[in-house]
Amino acid sequence: MTEHAKILIVDDDRDLVATLRLVLESGGYRVVTAHDAEEGMARIEQDRPDLILLDVMMPDATEGFHFVWRLRGRKEPDLRAVPIIMLTAIHERTELRFYPDSGDGTYQAGEFLPVQDFLDKPVAPKELLERVRRVLALSPAES
Amino acid sequence: MSRHGTVTGADERDATSAPSAVPPAAAELIGRIGWLIRLRWVAVVGVAAFLEIARRLFPVHLELGPLYLVLAGLAGFNLVVTLLVRRLRSSEPGPPRGWAMRLSRLLVPRPLWGLEGEGRTLRAAALANGQIAIDLLALALLLHFSGGIENPFVFFFVFHTIIASILLSRRATYLQAGVAVVLIAAVAVGEASGFLRHFPLDGVWREGAYRQPALVAAQLFVVAATLFLSAYMGSTIAAHLRNRERDVVQLSRQLGDKADRLEEAYRRLHDIEQAKSRYMRKVAHELRSPLATVQTALSAVLEGLAGELPERPRELVERARRRADELARLTEDLLALARAREAHEMAEWEEVDLGSLIADAVHEAMPTAADKGVAVVVELPTSPALVSVDRRALQQLLGNLIGNALRYTPTGGTVTVRGERTGDEVRIEVGDTGIGIPAEDLPRVFDEFFRSANARHMAPDGTGLGLAIVRAVAEQHGGGVEIASTVGEGTRITVRIVCRKSLSRNPGERIEHP
Repeated sequence: MTEHAKILIVDDDRDLVATLRLVLESGGYRVVTAHDAEEGMARIEQDRPDLILLDVMMPDATEGFHFVWRLRGRKEPDLRAVPIIMLTAIHERTELRFYPDSGDGTYQAGEFLPVQDFLDKPVAPKELLERVRRVLALSPAES
Repeated sequence: MSRHGTVTGADERDATSAPSAVPPAAAELIGRIGWLIRLRWVAVVGVAAFLEIARRLFPVHLELGPLYLVLAGLAGFNLVVTLLVRRLRSSEPGPPRGWAMRLSRLLVPRPLWGLEGEGRTLRAAALANGQIAIDLLALALLLHFSGGIENPFVFFFVFHTIIASILLSRRATYLQAGVAVVLIAAVAVGEASGFLRHFPLDGVWREGAYRQPALVAAQLFVVAATLFLSAYMGSTIAAHLRNRERDVVQLSRQLGDKADRLEEAYRRLHDIEQAKSRYMRKVAHELRSPLATVQTALSAVLEGLAGELPERPRELVERARRRADELARLTEDLLALARAREAHEMAEWEEVDLGSLIADAVHEAMPTAADKGVAVVVELPTSPALVSVDRRALQQLLGNLIGNALRYTPTGGTVTVRGERTGDEVRIEVGDTGIGIPAEDLPRVFDEFFRSANARHMAPDGTGLGLAIVRAVAEQHGGGVEIASTVGEGTRITVRIVCRKSLSRNPGERIEHP
């Protein structure tokens, strides 16, 4: 099942999207892509991905954060629970500290962002595949 | 070259080019009039005392009645002047008009004409001149009632002349000396010709001598010469002093201007430096994303995710990725450098334990040290030393220092990392037993992109920004950095940073989820 999971990539860097698509497809995943928040939201509704790879920046420095909170605020339980891996150089651009939901009842002081993982750019292909596998394995949709 | 006297051309040019260099003339004059008033009280009391002593000790007949009358008149006049000066101090009168203006302008030097507060200056000058004229008249009367030209006190007119030279313009001083001479001559000639009554001072001159034209003329000549000479000397000395005073005022104003300009230049330089750093940071930032994509794409190709790669293309792609990685490191270093240089704008101050900060940095470097076979010795403060720093910047500083030490220390060597806090100062010292830095390169190792030849030889892929970042971070923290090195023996770099005031927040700590 994991092997055929559908992954949505939301990033305004089309070359990176194409590269990540290649990497993920080589891992046996189905990939859909979007280049901004609106398109991403539409894709989520339409394609019901199992996982989202989300760029923090996109054109505007906080668009990724807003996207997360919008998605987590949706009424549909299956939509708002989609796991997210955030692609960032987060400490650089925002001057804030964000910590992912560790899922074990603790979190670190600082800003909390309800995503499952962070992945720093440049993305190492093997690392990406490993993180995707791990997050999908933990995701409630899978259990 | 007198400002207040006959004004020369040079002086006038000076004055028009820098009118505010003239000392506040009115205030100065009013102050001196105050002094003159005090002096006049002393004179009144002094003359009265002298008269009392003289009438008892000397066998001379003195016309005490008229003499005391003159003294009383002078005292009354002094009271009036006191009131006038008080009024002049507290008000700002406009300049006098018409003939009064023209007349009073004769009494002050031309550079003062038309300046702000001219009204007060002109009135003060008129007041000073009027007073001295009255003083001259008073002395002439006193003399007239006590022997006229016979009286040796006739030379007391010298004091009036000196006072005039201190208070007034050169022109007015000569004028007052002239008035004095005219008054004396009037008394002498008047008495000699019988037009005025003579009150003889017994025994000073031969009886009737005041009527001998030659004697009177000689006495008058000596008095006049004395007065004009003292007018000349007094006003020359006063002019010198005034010029000095003006020079000092001008000089201090120029110095102030210079200091202002220097400060302005420094501020602009600082702004430019900041703008440069901001620009550098933006450029580096823009480079980052495309570079990250290149790195990811090359990695994907190399890892065979786009299909199996033949040997020779693989080799080329590997080179490309190595250079892309290098470029990425350079970009990160440029970012770190720009951030540290933008100092407080970019800093995120937080309170961290110096010991654990160093321990973390060493921990991160341990795999490299183990690979290379370099021992790492750590000396940390025994008790926790909380310091308020930009954690990320300091991590970078430690990473750079320890990374450098490991990179340039051959297998079997030792890297020593020391941290201590004394008072408000934190010292971080990283020493190694590495290749060292040639003495001639030492002054430049903190420059951007500088790498000494032996360093390039040992590790070809450095960015040359590591130590520049170290220095920028140290300076960002109000400190500095020092280096000591001997080729073949090793290098020791000491960073000094100044602790900021404690913050209460401690964001790193883990807390239980409610």
